[in-house]
Amino acid sequence: MVAVEPGKLDALRQDVRAWLKANLPEGWGSPGYVAPERGTKEAYELGKAWQKKLYDTGYTGFGIPAEYGGIERSREEIAVIRDEMTRTGTPPPAASLGPMIVIPTLLRYGNEEQKKRFIPKILSGEETWCECFSEPDAGSDLANIQKTGVRDGDEWIVTGQSVWTSSSKFADWGVLPVKTDPQAPRHRNLSYFVFDCKSPGFEVRPLKQMTGDAEFSETFFDGMRVPHENMIGEEGQGWYVAMATLEAERGGGIQFVAPSRRIEPTTLGGVDNYVELAKNTKRRGKTVWEDPLFRQRIAQFAIENEAMRHSRVRMRIKAMKRQLTGNEQSIGSVFSREKNQRQANMVAEIMGTNIQFMRGDERALDDGTWAYTFLRTRGNTIETGTTEVNRGIIAERILGLPRNRI
Amino acid sequence: MAIEYGLNEEQEMLKTMARDFLANECPMTRVRELMEDDTGFSQDLWKKMAEVGWLGLVLPEEYGGAGMNFRDLTILLEEMGRTVLPSPFISTLLLVGMPVLTHGTEEQRNEILPKIASGEAVCTLAALEEDGDWWADSINLRADYRGGQYVINGTKLFVPDAKVADYMLIAARTKRTENPEEGITLFLLDTSEVFGTMSTTLKTMDETRKQYEVVFLNVPVSARNILGELDQGWPIMKEIALHTTAALCAEMVGAGDKVLEMTVDYLKERVAFGVVIGSFQALQHRAADMVIGLEYSRSLMEWAAEAIKENHPDTATAVSMAKSFCGDTCKKVVAEGIQMHGGIGFTWDHDMHLYFKRVWASDNAFGDSNYHRELVAKALDDIHQLAGHGRWMKTTGRMIPMG
Repeated sequence: MVAVEPGKLDALRQDVRAWLKANLPEGWGSPGYVAPERGTKEAYELGKAWQKKLYDTGYTGFGIPAEYGGIERSREEIAVIRDEMTRTGTPPPAASLGPMIVIPTLLRYGNEEQKKRFIPKILSGEETWCECFSEPDAGSDLANIQKTGVRDGDEWIVTGQSVWTSSSKFADWGVLPVKTDPQAPRHRNLSYFVFDCKSPGFEVRPLKQMTGDAEFSETFFDGMRVPHENMIGEEGQGWYVAMATLEAERGGGIQFVAPSRRIEPTTLGGVDNYVELAKNTKRRGKTVWEDPLFRQRIAQFAIENEAMRHSRVRMRIKAMKRQLTGNEQSIGSVFSREKNQRQANMVAEIMGTNIQFMRGDERALDDGTWAYTFLRTRGNTIETGTTEVNRGIIAERILGLPRNRI
Repeated sequence: MAIEYGLNEEQEMLKTMARDFLANECPMTRVRELMEDDTGFSQDLWKKMAEVGWLGLVLPEEYGGAGMNFRDLTILLEEMGRTVLPSPFISTLLLVGMPVLTHGTEEQRNEILPKIASGEAVCTLAALEEDGDWWADSINLRADYRGGQYVINGTKLFVPDAKVADYMLIAARTKRTENPEEGITLFLLDTSEVFGTMSTTLKTMDETRKQYEVVFLNVPVSARNILGELDQGWPIMKEIALHTTAALCAEMVGAGDKVLEMTVDYLKERVAFGVVIGSFQALQHRAADMVIGLEYSRSLMEWAAEAIKENHPDTATAVSMAKSFCGDTCKKVVAEGIQMHGGIGFTWDHDMHLYFKRVWASDNAFGDSNYHRELVAKALDDIHQLAGHGRWMKTTGRMIPMG
């Protein structure tokens, strides 16, 4: 335990509050505030500027070594900062992928130079990242990647296609596993690169999803050149580096959860919005909140959110004791993603006919956010590995059941 | 406040010791023998549990206890759940020992607690009646004040371990007002000094935990036998329920873990269609779901135990969350255990049904999953009203004013 005097924490709390007041966008939190539309350049720039402010003030990068731009803070301090940010809400990050998946990958497999070059600019929001993993024929079966990399002096020439590339519209850099040794067996034939999105031969085409948004893209590599120094890990080790990235992604950034042992007050577990919605929705003269069926379902989500909160801390502490293999991330991945979907279904059932209104129709509640979420969560159980792939990981690697495929 | 997830070194030792002890002293063959016995009680096993310090685990040293905390206790309970241990352990320590420690007079504490710790006394609580429902309105067993003493008349049902109990705590109705929670009094009886009670073994599903009907016919009790205050027994009952509910969660998680292990072992050895059945994806995914359910059950159970240990203000909600989730999940896990074992899992000789029955009985005790989920909904109501006037839409970054 790191001892911190209570008075010192109060001072920090006041600091964070004052800082938030001074730095949140104009009108933030007031009824008149309209956030920039999701996925627009404006929203991206707002998130980027916010990340920069956090970085400059030392409110991000906890637990990452100072030489890579991080900052050491006690668990209590981190908890205070997070509490205050949660209380007011903050602009969504421009690109969460960098901190969530690229930093853990670099910390594990990057060399000193790479860590110093890339991590600080991720933390400061100066450079945002995209992830070029899936291909048309390599989704759940990621090891089937067909993009090729051919060595040419100090460079590699990359040719092929990705699909479902996240955050690619405005990204500065990307992570990219490619097949560098077609003769080698599966899992030994890939190498992992980071590449500059401004490289000639790289092209991004937006991919419209069932939500109507184009949050992902198809990306094309037509003889794109990547310097050899941008290879992360060893040649042929790319599958394992990619797995580190996916583990981090499935864990949803678990490595940055403060291992606080402080018991925080039981929150509404993120269900306050549902309670509110149920109280404001009437069916035949009664509120939905009075309907025992919906009361039970909403309470169930409060329970599940609370369970996830404690499980994450348990996992974090296991990680500190080096008892975590990484496969455990699949447990949280399956549970939380299916829960998101069930939650969205419930909201749709609470709203009934009105769930149909999308953003753009003035009747749409909360600008169509609920309808959007309802549709968006269909992807939750597919992205970063389908829940079936993750159940397979639990069965084979945690329980040691025999492999059922080649 | 310090919350400890996972186990510290001392707790790891307690766990290992408990697992070894139970493997030696109460293997499944012994469990089967005790199931056949009308009392399900082994004096010999009870004495040995006293010798290793379990019976007074959470009692202070001055009463011969080990002075450990509630989280430590749940480690033992998990191990007991793994072996579906037939024992009046919960009845003695949770239903009577802990409330006597907190609410007993010095005389009551001195009389009973050292006997519990040393294994001389088995105790139980007679709470439920005909409807089997855990709520104040259901308590109708009458204790009438006559001639300087109370006279108890009526019937209690689902009383665990009644036949071997040396002390029985009885929830009786001493007054009927509009508020059913008022007028309940707890009496603590030395069963060797009392005449007029009759215990009959109930033929119930879970034979590893014997339950009884106890009939009281003009049983005289002195005011000295009241635990706590006259008419003020219900808050003590609620506290007993809180602790015992958390204890049952630990037992259920232990049982669920054991069922998962047995099932995975079976999946690895049973051959059908020329391959081990554990290679079938349909079964793999179901086994994975058992892992997922147990991870979150354990997370909530540990949190509930820590909350009790720390006397945290959210304890009641933590325990209800744990009971609701552990109950639902562990019931599913034991059902899956039977299904994935196929025919053999449906036989009397296989142990799967012992876990199935124990977990279902535990889920029913002290309010089932639905009951506790409604308590969580009530808590949400309270917090929601405190939370104020607006709601925060994190996704759009807008504050939506409430009407």
